[in-house]
Amino acid sequence: MRNDTALDIRWPAKFNEIPKEVFHRPDVFRLELERIFHGPEWHPVAHIAEMPKPGDLKTGYVGETPVLAVHGDDGVVRVFQNSCPHRGTQLKTCARGTADKIECPYHRWTFSNRGELLGAPGMGDFPKDFARENYGLRVLRSAEICGLVFVTLNPETPPLATYLDNTVEHLARAMGGDGRLKLLGYQKVAFATNWKEYSDNEGYHGPLLHAAFRMLRFAQGDGVQFMTPHAHKVNSTTLAVPEPSFIEDGSVVAGLDPRLPPHNIVISLFPVTIITRNLDVISIRYAVPVSPDETEVHYAYFAHQDDNAALTAHRVRQASNLIGPSGFISLEDGAVFNRLHVGARSDGNVAFQKGVRGPIAAPYTLDKGDEAGNLIRWEHYRQAMGFVRD
Amino acid sequence: MTDADTLARIDALQTRYARALDAKDMAGWTGCFGEEASYVCIARENVEQDLPVAIMMDDSLARIRDRVTYIEKVWSGTFEDYQTRHFVQRVGCVARGPLIAVESNFIVAYTNARGRSEILVAGTYEDEIELRDGEARFRAKKAILDTVTTPRYLVYPV
Repeated sequence: MRNDTALDIRWPAKFNEIPKEVFHRPDVFRLELERIFHGPEWHPVAHIAEMPKPGDLKTGYVGETPVLAVHGDDGVVRVFQNSCPHRGTQLKTCARGTADKIECPYHRWTFSNRGELLGAPGMGDFPKDFARENYGLRVLRSAEICGLVFVTLNPETPPLATYLDNTVEHLARAMGGDGRLKLLGYQKVAFATNWKEYSDNEGYHGPLLHAAFRMLRFAQGDGVQFMTPHAHKVNSTTLAVPEPSFIEDGSVVAGLDPRLPPHNIVISLFPVTIITRNLDVISIRYAVPVSPDETEVHYAYFAHQDDNAALTAHRVRQASNLIGPSGFISLEDGAVFNRLHVGARSDGNVAFQKGVRGPIAAPYTLDKGDEAGNLIRWEHYRQAMGFVRD
Repeated sequence: MTDADTLARIDALQTRYARALDAKDMAGWTGCFGEEASYVCIARENVEQDLPVAIMMDDSLARIRDRVTYIEKVWSGTFEDYQTRHFVQRVGCVARGPLIAVESNFIVAYTNARGRSEILVAGTYEDEIELRDGEARFRAKKAILDTVTTPRYLVYPV
């Protein structure tokens, strides 16, 4: 069979096998930017809590494309290309900021925070057919759910609610029930890994890789684990954590939020964004595929607007120590991302096993502790990339 | 005013701290703190935007000791180890009530398992130091990272 692309990737016939070369090849990475990051997918770029007031803005990337989310003085959040419509200069270099107007430094073209071109020096000498309304900031298609702002670079992308399917109620629950959040801060790190290795975590590894899960005697209770047709994964369970005996300060694993008893909620949205609720930590992990060999992850942490001061302080202390790149129960993930990437330089395929009972299709319910659900992500990836099975 | 004797004790503490971390002597690291102590490692971006989340927030001696448990008992055998070298330069020192507020610049180099060295983080320490029985210890040590996006995950404190 011929691939629906010029790339000579040979995709194994076996449903549970993935060719290692997709984790390294620069030509595969270029095609991913085109077919996935510019493809019919939605990408979270900001939560409204990161830009709560008119004039607030946040920069980011969709694949390699620089984007600029701006809270307009009309209350509307728009996502623009972070690039001047004149000569293409990057407009904003800060991670977050506030501005009445957005000025390009190169020729001082100035835009309102709604994106309209307000003025350009020397406009009298522009061609006669120059129309100011054609030179506003380029608005990208965006939509919002629970305060989380998504953008897509593709006109074919289905409506956001269709795309997210039944992840929405879980996204809401993870984000404080209603998305009324307050930003607490960021942890940012570069992993020496491919974005697909970063986003390929599953329930099998949890108590095996992370000694803390065993030492803390984490007991997952009721919950749901499923894959959606757009290859998003929801893993949501209640969590019982006995008072730990081997650490002195048990508050690092306390569940104090009166609105939600202790939970472990992980929502992996295809391709690279992960929204988590671990005990009282509310987090959005934005990821940037920098190159085939590097993925930058920005962990944003939040409180709920109705929290009292004590609960906010608890969330800050828990967010800082529990679940980030240097977190008590999570640090080992980073090690594995990097080690997967080195190991994938060898020949052959990787193979998923736990819970694999033949080909599966979404919607699909997986068992706690299985890795089989990730094969639905891989099938979505394979089809988007145009790779045909042997 | 801080006299030469006090400065010598402060510098001895800073040296002891760097040497303990570079030797992965975690008991030596906790020994640099007083009974009432805090250690915070935080990105400068958060500090400048009044955002409280840190990369490590050990706001009691209990949590400082728990960090040693994470490193030695929980994460042991999983992470990619690295060797650090801390370079610290004192740039400010003033009395603040019974404590001494010391500001320093730092660069931490790291060497990975393949023997390649790079800069891990650069930033400033904002410390509050107590002098008791002629010895200096940290009451509060805050490492503020200019390196907002670290080139790898941090295992050890800075």
